[in-house]
Amino acid sequence: MSSRNSLPVPSSSSSVPPHLAALAAFSDPPTRHVDGAMMDYFLIETVNALRQSSKIALTREREREKEMIEAGLIPPPALPVKDTKDSAVSARDSTGSLASTKGGKVAAAGPVDEEEEALKVRLETIGIHVGSNFSERLCRDRGLFTETLDAIKFICKDIWAACWDKQVDNLRTNHRGVYVLQDNSFKTISRLSSWQGRPDAVRKAKVYVSMPAGIIKGALARLGYNATVSPEVTNLPQCTFQVKLPKGS
Amino acid sequence: MAPNLRLNAVAFISPQNHPILIRTFSKQDENAIKYHYIAHTSLDVIEERASSKSSECYLGLLYSMEDVAVYGYITPLKVKIVIAAALTDAVVRDVDLNMIFKALHMAYYSAISNPFLEVRNGNTFDDV
Repeated sequence: MSSRNSLPVPSSSSSVPPHLAALAAFSDPPTRHVDGAMMDYFLIETVNALRQSSKIALTREREREKEMIEAGLIPPPALPVKDTKDSAVSARDSTGSLASTKGGKVAAAGPVDEEEEALKVRLETIGIHVGSNFSERLCRDRGLFTETLDAIKFICKDIWAACWDKQVDNLRTNHRGVYVLQDNSFKTISRLSSWQGRPDAVRKAKVYVSMPAGIIKGALARLGYNATVSPEVTNLPQCTFQVKLPKGS
Repeated sequence: MAPNLRLNAVAFISPQNHPILIRTFSKQDENAIKYHYIAHTSLDVIEERASSKSSECYLGLLYSMEDVAVYGYITPLKVKIVIAAALTDAVVRDVDLNMIFKALHMAYYSAISNPFLEVRNGNTFDDV
């Protein structure tokens, strides 16, 4: 990701004999950089594409549900059994269950909300995948983690610096497993604006923030902590992530 | 690879102690099962080493059996890498082994980052 200091490539250091040079290149690959602006563009396109695809998936699901109700296979307000979208496996499961809980309770719980939820779930899953694998890369040169606070600090410093070019501005904890990470000008939403005014921009920001929340969740999961991460956006460039670690970790 | 070091097998073990990949390089295929056994026994040794001497990824020589010396490495994400090398009298440098482990870690990372990776139902994924 952008502007991380690149590690020196071991080109022809004297301590590496020639038959080990290939191995040395393997073991210490140069860091690859990605233009930071590209991340913003990519996220915009991703959100649009996923919005369309989740809309299609939800309509397909609702049609199937309607067919099954008409055929009398399931009683009317019931849990839909099938899920049809073939994106990542976990997104499939979670979208199904989310739609089922919502559809079961209220008949039309605002289809817009349902779609936004599905979109957020997909973004979060992508973020989880990115975060877990990226933390593997970042962990290469450091030692093992000694305790929970160590892991959270790793996230605040290394992941934030690698993805968004700065470090977390404020870290608070209540010493009982809840950490609040606050970033006063979060890069992902810093350029977000809406012609409908501030509140609409805040609402849109909530969607975009779910991918970084997924990145944090994925990184923590790989480190062994199954946390729940909830992002909150109140004023626009400022964003807080509340990380709840399960009891006993 | 260093000329005096012959790798017999490499094993990757997940944080939940499930084997991810066990790959043997020696010619006798009927002995391949013994490397599963070696990987399994390494788990105990790794656990005691990792809990005492913390914050060090490279665990060094775990133990040596009949004709293999087993070296271990644990990543900060708790993925364990075990190398079974042929037992020789020549000196094996820690530095070399550390480099081998880091190269294996990077290869694992590249394979894992692929979102389209499918693990087939044997214990190998041949992209590594």
